[in-house]
Formats: sequence, structure tokens, C-alpha cells
Amino acid sequence: MFFKTSRYEQFLHLDETGMGYQVIEGHRQNKRFKEKFIVYNSELIVEFDKVKEFKQRTKTEKYSRILNEAQVIYFVKDTISLVPRNKITELRTLNEAKRRDKHRYPNGKGAADNKEEEVNTDGKEVFVRLSAYENDRRIDFVKKKLVRGTYTTTYNDYYVCVKDDDDPIDRYALPNDENVKWAFYVRPNKSDIVQRGIVQPLFGHDGGGIETFFKYGTSENTYYKKTPYGVLAP
Amino acid sequence: MKKLQLKEEHVQHLITLPENGMGYQVVDITLKGGNILKKRVVLNSNLLLLEANEDIDPNSIERIELTKSNASKA
Repeated sequence: MFFKTSRYEQFLHLDETGMGYQVIEGHRQNKRFKEKFIVYNSELIVEFDKVKEFKQRTKTEKYSRILNEAQVIYFVKDTISLVPRNKITELRTLNEAKRRDKHRYPNGKGAADNKEEEVNTDGKEVFVRLSAYENDRRIDFVKKKLVRGTYTTTYNDYYVCVKDDDDPIDRYALPNDENVKWAFYVRPNKSDIVQRGIVQPLFGHDGGGIETFFKYGTSENTYYKKTPYGVLAP
Repeated sequence: MKKLQLKEEHVQHLITLPENGMGYQVVDITLKGGNILKKRVVLNSNLLLLEANEDIDPNSIERIELTKSNASKA
């Protein structure tokens, strides 16, 4: 969505982030949380995750027309601030629809940055590794285990991804756009070590799914089956 | 993007190294001529992603290591 302001002076006292634009954070009226926007020329305001659509539209429409058709946006008083430049690299915010409809997590550290803990869920918790490749090299199919340093997600998050018809490439911020075709199921021993976290934005994707990192791999006989992606059969 | 199948000796080495996310590793590749390709993505520990106009002979690869800033993540 593209917006304009009736009070452009509220942006004039802020430094520019780059030539002709500012990256700001603000709390608009009727919203419960702050959001990030790009402000062009202190007048046209674009939601941060809609920049691609905005650029696309500027190829076919004049800036003045886009501005004319933009809705007026109202921010809660004194909530607008500039986003520091050093926080803009890979800055992406999950839009509300993804948070709500796809059950993505907007905040949190990646798995490798969180503490190591035993799986410790009665040995019943299932983890799923998604892949475009049937011959997944991170699974030791002889010893039926994950090799050291391998990522998965939880079965619960995989379930949500499938049920919500979410895009796994975006949810898990995968670097290749090949379709995920396979789901490999692992039920670790309760003493296997895992780190749990949130997939960080990367490769132009939003992330926000659950990631689980097995720094030391899993015990033998913990990998037990594979299914095509989308099949829910723990 | 194109994908290059790495030699088995490099695959076996990558399997011993941690992933950076589900299904991929970020690596630096040293070629036999001494050039280093930095921050490249390897899928499934065996497929190197290449730009469409890029051509690399798998036999010209001397060494593959995790990119340091990413390696520290894992």
C-alpha cells in the first residue's frame, strides 16, 4: 500500500537515509505495533515490504499519479523516528498478513545464536528437514541420523507451513527457488542437543519460520522416513 | 542460477562442516590458480550455485571452506 501525508513537515526534520528517501519507523493510528516505511521526497510513504511493488509501478506510471492516488496516512503523535543506517542491511519486516495468516514469527534470534539444550520432549518430538533433493547429503541413511551441523524445522512448524499454504522458500529463507519436494522425518533421542530459533531474513526472503540446529547431529536410528512435501504423516 | 556438481572429495569435506541454514552452506572457494570466490552458496553439500554467465570446472577447485563470518554463526 502506498500512502501520502497531509503533514509533510513531520519528515523534514529527519535526516535522509539516502538521496531522496528516508527509512522510518512509526506507529500509525489503529495499529498495535510500529511499522517501517520508506518515505520518498518527504511525501510519498511506502510500506517497507512493498518497495518491490512500488518500483514495479513506477515503471508504468508517473510518480505524480501514484502520489495523487495514494491514501493519506496518520501516525500517532511523536512516534516517528529514523531507522539507523546500520540496521537497514537485510532489513525486512514481516507484513501483518504473514504474521497473522501464515503464523510467522516477527522477532527472535536464529537457532545458532540460541543456547544448546537437550531435545528433552519424551523422545517423541518430530523434526522435519525440507529439501529439493531426494538424496539429502546431510542425512546419514546408513546410520539413520542427521550429520553434525544440520538444520531442520519442527514438525509443528512444517505442519503450519503446509496447512496455511505458506511458501516454504520464503518461510525458511532458502537460497534457491527450486520447489521443496521432500520432507525427511527425524525423531531425536531426548538427550540429543538442539538449538531452536527463528529463521532470519536472507536471500530476499522474510523467514519467520522455526529453525532447529543440531550442532552435533542426532543419534543413530533417529531418521525414520521421507515423504513428498505437503504430506503430513509424523 | 546454474548448479555445479562438486567433486566427491569436496562433498565429503562439506558434509563434515555445519550448515548455515536448512539445506545450504555459505563458502569461500579457492581455485587452483589462487583466485578465491567468496560467499558462495552450496546446496545439499554438493551443488554450487553459479551465475548464469559463470563457468567453473569442478577440477579447478583446490579447496572449499565455510565463509568465516558465517562459520562463526554455526
